[in-house]
Amino acid sequence: MIDVTINGQATRVDAAPDMPLLWALRDVLNLTGTKYGCGIAQCGACTVHVDGQPARACQTALSDVAGKRVTTIEGLHPAGAHPLQQAWIAHQVPQCGYCQSGQIMSAAALLRDTPRPTDAQIDEAMAGHICRCGTYQRIRAAIHHAAQG
Amino acid sequence: MERRAFLTATLLVPVAALAQAPAAPPPPTIAGQGANGALSAFLRIAADGSVTLLTTTSELGQGTHTAHAQIVADELGCALSAVRVEVGQPEPALRLAGVNEMYTGASFGIRAWAPRLRRGAAAARTVLVQAAASRLGVPEAELVATEGQVRHAASGRSIPFGELVEAASRLPLPEMPAMKAASERRISGSSAPRFDIPAKTRGAATYGVDVRLPGMLFAVARLPEVFGAELDSFDAAPAMAIPGVVRVVPIPRGVAVAANSTWAAMRGAEALVVRWKATPHDGLDSAGVSARLHAALAQPEAQRPKNDGDWEAVRAAAARVVSATYEVPYLAHAPMETENATVRINGDRAEIWAPTQHQDWCVRDVGQALGIPPANVTMHSTLAGGGFGRRLHVEIATQAAVVARATGRPTQLLWRREDEFAQGYYRPAFAARMEAALDAQGRVTGFAIRGAGGSVMADYRPALMRNPAFVDPFALQSVADTRYRFGQAFRAEYARVDLPPKNWLWRSVGSSQYGFFVESFLDEVAHAAGKDPLALRRELLAHDARALTVLNTAAERGGWGTPLPAGRHRGIAYMEAYGSLCAEVAEISITSGELRVHKVTVAFDCGDVVNPDTVAAQIQGSVVWGLSSMKHEKITLKNGRAEQRNFDSYRVARIDEAPVVETHIIRSGQPLGGVGEPAVPPLAPAVCNAIFAATGRRIRQLPLEGQPLS
Repeated sequence: MIDVTINGQATRVDAAPDMPLLWALRDVLNLTGTKYGCGIAQCGACTVHVDGQPARACQTALSDVAGKRVTTIEGLHPAGAHPLQQAWIAHQVPQCGYCQSGQIMSAAALLRDTPRPTDAQIDEAMAGHICRCGTYQRIRAAIHHAAQG
Repeated sequence: MERRAFLTATLLVPVAALAQAPAAPPPPTIAGQGANGALSAFLRIAADGSVTLLTTTSELGQGTHTAHAQIVADELGCALSAVRVEVGQPEPALRLAGVNEMYTGASFGIRAWAPRLRRGAAAARTVLVQAAASRLGVPEAELVATEGQVRHAASGRSIPFGELVEAASRLPLPEMPAMKAASERRISGSSAPRFDIPAKTRGAATYGVDVRLPGMLFAVARLPEVFGAELDSFDAAPAMAIPGVVRVVPIPRGVAVAANSTWAAMRGAEALVVRWKATPHDGLDSAGVSARLHAALAQPEAQRPKNDGDWEAVRAAAARVVSATYEVPYLAHAPMETENATVRINGDRAEIWAPTQHQDWCVRDVGQALGIPPANVTMHSTLAGGGFGRRLHVEIATQAAVVARATGRPTQLLWRREDEFAQGYYRPAFAARMEAALDAQGRVTGFAIRGAGGSVMADYRPALMRNPAFVDPFALQSVADTRYRFGQAFRAEYARVDLPPKNWLWRSVGSSQYGFFVESFLDEVAHAAGKDPLALRRELLAHDARALTVLNTAAERGGWGTPLPAGRHRGIAYMEAYGSLCAEVAEISITSGELRVHKVTVAFDCGDVVNPDTVAAQIQGSVVWGLSSMKHEKITLKNGRAEQRNFDSYRVARIDEAPVVETHIIRSGQPLGGVGEPAVPPLAPAVCNAIFAATGRRIRQLPLEGQPLS
């Protein structure tokens, strides 16, 4: 049993301490918005926030987040209306959409620390993510849009 | 040789139907009409007026679900927001003509379906109007279907669709309903926000791997590393010792471990001790593949589906012959969601949830695996985390059915990324030898090409290959049917090379390599003839106004021939694929040997457009797809297996490499062409031609990575 605050809710997770947070979220807690893409922290699809910092859930053991605050895409905004989520819709960013939970979580951390990022800052913050559909141009535009919102 | 070439030429025609939209779509079916407000096999209207479209394609991110709804809303006469889209079951009305299968591929989503959906919606509107005419006692001609109602302007009366549907569903659907003129369309043809996007920003969209069923198990496959290796034996005990593991199940081509979480199943799959049978190719490596390709370029035997004029005579008479050999590697699709399927069995019935591109093959395979008719299998087509052709391969369906039967519980089977990379189903490695004959004035008088590589069709639809004269339409795709006129002789040959990795359809398929081959080589020809690369292409397309418009649009909008900032260079390329014409101008710089693609200007003629913003998105994505493969991607072989097993070794383009893509859509009014694939092929040659402009270095092999540019 591991106690974690997940999306603001105190949660007791009944899973092995070495289970990656990714699978605890997806298979134990049914929070499937966080995605498996590579399992080796190369693609960014599993990005969540741990105590506000972006983290790769596939490389974060459940025991690593004991007593911490985990935020997933489902908890980024109570109504799913974070400025980035709105900008993602305004710019029609997602194609298949599978990587976008992770993209949005990294972008949210970027904007909190760098409210008006340049293209270069966006590239640096988002280069850990892979989008096979190639939505990068729209991701850049949407981040700028949210930053100016 | 000559006789064989003749046979292949005559047999090419019926087969090409697989790569082309049907010319005359069949009338809408009336199967399923009459129950629950069904107004054709793919339209239902509820009493509250909501319209459900049971559509024909999987949503892989290409946006066809919204586009289909736009078409239906327009033709039916209702608001777009009134239409809800579901993927239908494989049945006659939802199958592609010609092959009679329900699948998503060949950029068919709009070009094949728009006419049929439009006609189906028009037929539904017709019976709604007839029902209203009868109820109001007025002639049909005085009625208009709009905003979900049938209106009688003269009396100001109107009846919502929902109140008419019961009566309308008893009327016979017209086979050839009157359809709205293009000028009357209000929804189709304009950008509309995609239905699937809001959920995708909230983590609320359900992909195959997100399916959760009561009492379900999670299973992970352990699959061979050597291509095509068969299972010899395995020891389940180390897997069963992992907490959470429930069962170890042999499956076709491997072993699956079922557990109460994906994590436990993954650990179990890793812990399994598996022995694979030796194969004849356990020692195969990439050098061996390359040697086979080059041997095939030189061998006497080849299929020759195109042989206009006397190439040998033209070659002999040429003032100059330009020749070059090109080569490209195996490529993986690597969609972000790995292969998975979930199966639930209930007596002699079963359900499958899968992010698939081929519904008919999924239900067929689950039925076969369980010994039940395909009609007893319900297909739940989930959203897919990318497709790119990969999901036309449905081996996972059989495997998931076998595991679900063994566990006796609903079971989701997942392939790990490492296993997916290792299983082949790649864009085949390919080589090409090309020659162009020039006269004394530098005019092209003839062109000959031979491609050598694996046959995609041989692995995709092997039954077609039983006829030895059959030519794989992907083997010279976008070449044998090019609009270019090469003077007096044009010869195109294909030498098939059978190698262990399975060949598969990879976004733009054969056109993906031939774009790079032909369009890079034409740049070589232009330089050899002392011509501007655009000017050479204009000469070869001088007879074709449509192609010239596309080429010229890209050139003008891309600033071809205008001054560039210091260090910037341009390249141009053009190709037609899946019925759409595409030209691209790439603007690049090279700093300390590092390539940067700043901007790609795309001119795209797909005839007409349903959702322009979706078309732009597909073109933007195609440019990144083309750039990624051109710069980085390769599967190399060693000891009979792939050396790249995850994204640490299979490098793909990321945001810091993404260029600005400027899209110019040309509405030529010609028959609809595909959108998802045709913008891929011109990218690699446009960039490589710009590299030549910058450095004088001709890139004849991909990827670029590992080839010094300074």
